[in-house]
Amino acid sequence: MKALRARFFAPCPHDSYREGVRSMMPLALAISVWGLVTGVAMVNGGMTVPGALIVTFFVFAGSAQLATLPLLAVGAPLPVVWVTALLVNLRFVIFAAASRRYFVKLPWQQRLLAGYLNGDLGFALFSRRFGDATELGTPEQFGFFYGGATVNWVAWQLSSYVGIIIGGLFPTEWGFELAAALALVAVLIPMANKFPAAVGILVTGVLAVYTASMPMRLGLVVSVLIGGSVAVAADVWRSRSEVQPEPEPSAA
Amino acid sequence: MSPFHDWAYMAFATVGLTVVTFATRGSFFMLPPSVQLPKSWERALKYAPVCALTAIVAPAVFTKQHEPYISWSNHQMWALLAAGLVFAKFRNMTAMICVGMAVFTALRLWT
Repeated sequence: MKALRARFFAPCPHDSYREGVRSMMPLALAISVWGLVTGVAMVNGGMTVPGALIVTFFVFAGSAQLATLPLLAVGAPLPVVWVTALLVNLRFVIFAAASRRYFVKLPWQQRLLAGYLNGDLGFALFSRRFGDATELGTPEQFGFFYGGATVNWVAWQLSSYVGIIIGGLFPTEWGFELAAALALVAVLIPMANKFPAAVGILVTGVLAVYTASMPMRLGLVVSVLIGGSVAVAADVWRSRSEVQPEPEPSAA
Repeated sequence: MSPFHDWAYMAFATVGLTVVTFATRGSFFMLPPSVQLPKSWERALKYAPVCALTAIVAPAVFTKQHEPYISWSNHQMWALLAAGLVFAKFRNMTAMICVGMAVFTALRLWT
């Protein structure tokens, strides 16, 4: 057990681990609501209880789980399921690129686990706490990271299991798919504060509604490709049209 | 048979989804330090998740049996509107889901 822990976790002091736990604790309620909704939605959507438990344990990505649920329910082709999860999860690639410098010296097993645990909230808290640290990859930073990640993982797993177990009690006409969609909107809104994202949402949304009848749920992929390209084009156009900053006058 | 009871389908789906989690979250943690994220990719990576989430949420709310359902009697539309306003104002996901579901349930029972 100890050897296993040493292989996958970087050594860290107890008090920084506890600091990480304390800073994630206030968010445990929100994580649990989200886990509960996901658990109920999976079982309510028709997934078996063992299936939902296994998916929750291994996949550990709420937005990807909720996003792929309606696809799995209709037996969409697996590549469409995987690509959808990949698209939803691409934001984590940015997180990984941004926080790699703290973890880069660790052995690969520890980097792999740290990456797996680097979700939305953990990344946000860690960046706020150590964003301007001069020394990177200290044991204190690992402790804080693991502390927050532990709360996140435990709250997410337990609340999902509760949701999966009680999910069968709710009649489907109570509309838990809607609760799942609303939970996704909560991830979506904070990312939608800029003009290119708003345009992308509008174009993708309209296309997705009018291509919903396409076979094999291909409308989803088509709308994301077109909507995403429009958002990127809007961003490029906007950054070009912005006034270039005046060059700094060189000190005489 | 429901796809959820097709164990091979679910097993392959789950394995793939797990690989996606590790591949995205672990991506730059596992790549050699010399590999950097190209600036031009950042935009695409930023907007793809926004659009993918939209492509899931929009049909869930605005379609019925895969056909567009944009009508005053679409209860989910009003629930989404109420939930969106609550989230924009209070930034609280729990309140947002509760209000959205309350609006949906009220409309479902009383109209």
